[in-house]
Amino acid sequence: MSVSISGLLLVMADSVTALQLSPSFIRPSTFLQLLAFAILLGGIYGLVALGLTMIFGVMDVINFAHGALMVVGMYIVWWLSTAVGLNPFLTIPIAVVALFVLGIAIHRLTIAPIMDAPQENQLIVTFGVLLIIVSAIEITFSADPQSRVLNLGAVGIGGVALPGGQLIALLIAILAVVLVWAFLQRTQLGRAIRGTADDREAAQYVGINVPRIDYLTFGLGAALAGLAGAVIPFIQQIDPHLGDTYLINAFVIVVLGGLGSFPGALVGGMIIGFVHVFGQFFLPGSGNQIAIFLIFILVLLLKPEGLFGGGS
Amino acid sequence: MGTNSKRSERRSFIKYLGAAGAIGLAGCIGDDPDADDDNGNGNGNGNGNGNGNGNGNGNGADPDVDEVVIGSNHPLSGGLGGTGTRMDNAVKLAAMIKNENGGIESLGGAELEVISGDNQGEQELGGEVTDELIDEGAQILTGCFSSPVTSTATRAAERAGIPFVVSVSVDDAILQETELDYIYRPQPPANQMALNHAEMVTQVIRDAGHSVETAGIYYIDIDFGQSVRDHLREQLPANDVEIIQEVGINFGETADTQVTQLVDADPDVVIAISYEAETVELVRAMDDQNYSPPFLAGCANEALNDRAALQEMGETAEGAFATNFALNPVDDRAAEVRQRFEDEFDQSFDANVAMTYAAAEVIIAGIEAAGSNDPDDINDALTDITVEDHIAAMPPITFGPDGENENALAPLFQVQDLEDRVIFPEEFAESEVQL
Repeated sequence: MSVSISGLLLVMADSVTALQLSPSFIRPSTFLQLLAFAILLGGIYGLVALGLTMIFGVMDVINFAHGALMVVGMYIVWWLSTAVGLNPFLTIPIAVVALFVLGIAIHRLTIAPIMDAPQENQLIVTFGVLLIIVSAIEITFSADPQSRVLNLGAVGIGGVALPGGQLIALLIAILAVVLVWAFLQRTQLGRAIRGTADDREAAQYVGINVPRIDYLTFGLGAALAGLAGAVIPFIQQIDPHLGDTYLINAFVIVVLGGLGSFPGALVGGMIIGFVHVFGQFFLPGSGNQIAIFLIFILVLLLKPEGLFGGGS
Repeated sequence: MGTNSKRSERRSFIKYLGAAGAIGLAGCIGDDPDADDDNGNGNGNGNGNGNGNGNGNGNGADPDVDEVVIGSNHPLSGGLGGTGTRMDNAVKLAAMIKNENGGIESLGGAELEVISGDNQGEQELGGEVTDELIDEGAQILTGCFSSPVTSTATRAAERAGIPFVVSVSVDDAILQETELDYIYRPQPPANQMALNHAEMVTQVIRDAGHSVETAGIYYIDIDFGQSVRDHLREQLPANDVEIIQEVGINFGETADTQVTQLVDADPDVVIAISYEAETVELVRAMDDQNYSPPFLAGCANEALNDRAALQEMGETAEGAFATNFALNPVDDRAAEVRQRFEDEFDQSFDANVAMTYAAAEVIIAGIEAAGSNDPDDINDALTDITVEDHIAAMPPITFGPDGENENALAPLFQVQDLEDRVIFPEEFAESEVQL
C-alpha cells in the first residue's frame, strides 16, 4: 500500500489531536477494568492461537484457513442454537467434533497430497480453503451479521465488570490448554505427536505412523479452531469474515509465544491481550495494532525463537 | 512442542506472517473498503407505482429507442454482499415499476433494463466493473455503497463519459476533490451528515430543556467513520459542544475498552458513527458496564435505523437520536414501494435500499427528461433536473455544479418503542421528540 506524504501528515495530525483527548492519568477503577478486559481478551487470543501453533509445530504447515475454520465453529453454534433450538452450551462440543472431522477431510483432500511439496504450495492451498469456506458460509447464511446466541450479561466484582461471554471463553481456553497439554504429555498418541514435531524422519524410523499423526494433528488443530470459534457467538455478533480479525493477531501470538508451544500460545495471547486493551486506551485510532506489530518485531530481533521456543 | 530449532521453518513462518502483518497494518491505517452508510426506516402508503419525474431539457420521443440500459455496480458478494444485493434489487424494482407503468414516456415507452456487476466491496474492482458494465451497453450507471469503490467507479465512468448517479457513499472526496462532469450524488455526504447532526441533535435536546455541552465520539476506524468524525470535530464546537473523548473501533472488535474510555470521560452525549455490528457491540458493552450516558446518538449510523438491530439492542437504545438519510415517512407512495420491495424480494427495506431506490428514481427522471438514451443527453438532463417525486426524506433533488444534491438532508430520528421515528425537521416528522 502506498501512503502519500500528505496522507502521513494527516495521520500524524490526527494522532496528535487524538492524543490530546487521551487520558493523562488512569483511575484505579479504570485500570482494574482494563486489566480484567486484557486477561479476558488474552484468553480468547490464546485459544485461537492454540490450533494454529499445533499444526505448524507438528506439520510445518501455515494454516491460513484457521480463521475460516473458526468461522465454521461460530456458525455451527449460531445455527444449532437459533434455527434448531439447541441449548447454546450443548452446541460447543458438537462444533468441536464437527471441526475435527472437517479438519481431517480438508487434510485428506488438500494437504496430504502435497505434504512433501514446497511450503508455499501448502500455504496457497490453505488460503484457497479459506476462500472456499468463507464463500460457502456467505452463500448459505448471507454476509449480514448474525446476533449473539445468548446474552450472558456481566458479573460485577468490586466495581469491575466481567462480561459473561468473555469469562466463559477464558475458562474454556484454560481448560483447553490443560487438556491438550495433558494429552500430549501423558498419552502414547501425544508422545507420538511430539516425536513427529521433533523430527518427522526419525519418528518414522521408530515406528510412528507420521501420515496418521498428520491427520490427527490437523483434525485437532481444526477442532481447536472450532472451539475458539464456538465461544465467539456468546461474545459478539458474527459474520463470515470475522475469522480474519482474530487470525492476524493469532499469527503474532504464535511467533511471540514460540512456534509449537502451547503455554507460549496462552502467555502470548495474554501479552497481546494486554497490549491490545491498554494500547486501545492510551493510543489513538488503531495505534494498538501498530504496538502489537512493534512488539512482534522486537521479539524477532531479540528472541527470535519466541518466549517459550526451543524447549519441549 | 518440538525441540529442534527449526530455524528455516521459523524463517518461512515469519516471512508469511510478515506479509500477513503488512496486510493487517494496511487495514489499520489504510482506507479500508467498507460500506458507508445506513439503514433506514420509513412508512407511509400510497399508489406506489411511480418513479421520480423531473423537469429538465427533454427531447422528443425517439422511435428507434426501445430500451435504455442501467448499470448497477454494487457489492453482491463479500462482507457487504447482503446490503449490496438489496441495493441492487432496489434499482431493479425501480426499473420494474417504471416498465409496468408504460416505460419511458418520452421515448415512446422504451423499457428499462438493469444489468448488474459485482464489485465485492473491493476498491480495485470499482473501475473494472464499471468498464464491464459500459462494455455491456450501460448508458447510465449507479453504485457502489463503499466509498473507495465508488471513488474508482466514478472515475472510470467519468473517463468513459457515462453519467453515474451515486446510490450510497458518504465520503466527501468522491465529488468534492475533483471536478467531475458526469457524476451526481443525491444523498447527503459526510459534511452534510455532520452538519445536520450537530445542529439538529443539540437543538432538539436544548429545546426540550436539557443541557448538552460535551460529546464522546465512537467511530469505526475507516474512511467512513473518520470522515464523519472529522466533520463533527468542526460542527460540534460550532454548536457549543466540546468533544472530550474519541474512541475508534475496528471490524470484529469488541467495544469493552472503548466503553471504559467513555465511562472515564463521562460526556453528555455519545455519538456513534458505525455499522450495525459495531453499534450493537457498543450497546452490549454499555450494558455490561452498566453505563448509560444522558444521551445516545448515531450519525450516519446503520443500526439505529434498523428495526431488527434495535430489537437486539433493546432498552438501552430507546430514546437514542440518529441522523441519516431515510425513506420519507410522510409520503404515501414510499410505503407502497417498501411493501412491494419486501413482497418481491423477501428482503428488508432499509435506508440504504431507500436511498438507492431514490437514486434510481433520479436516473429514470433523467432519462425521461432527456428523451434519449444517449449518455451525453442524459447527463445534460441531470445537470438541470429537479426531481420532486422521490421517496427519500428530503426536499426536491437538484444538483449543484459539483454534482452534489443542493437539497440533501439527513433528518433526525429518535428511537421510540424500539422503532426509528423521524422527529425533525417538521416537514418530515412523523412523531414528536420524547425526552
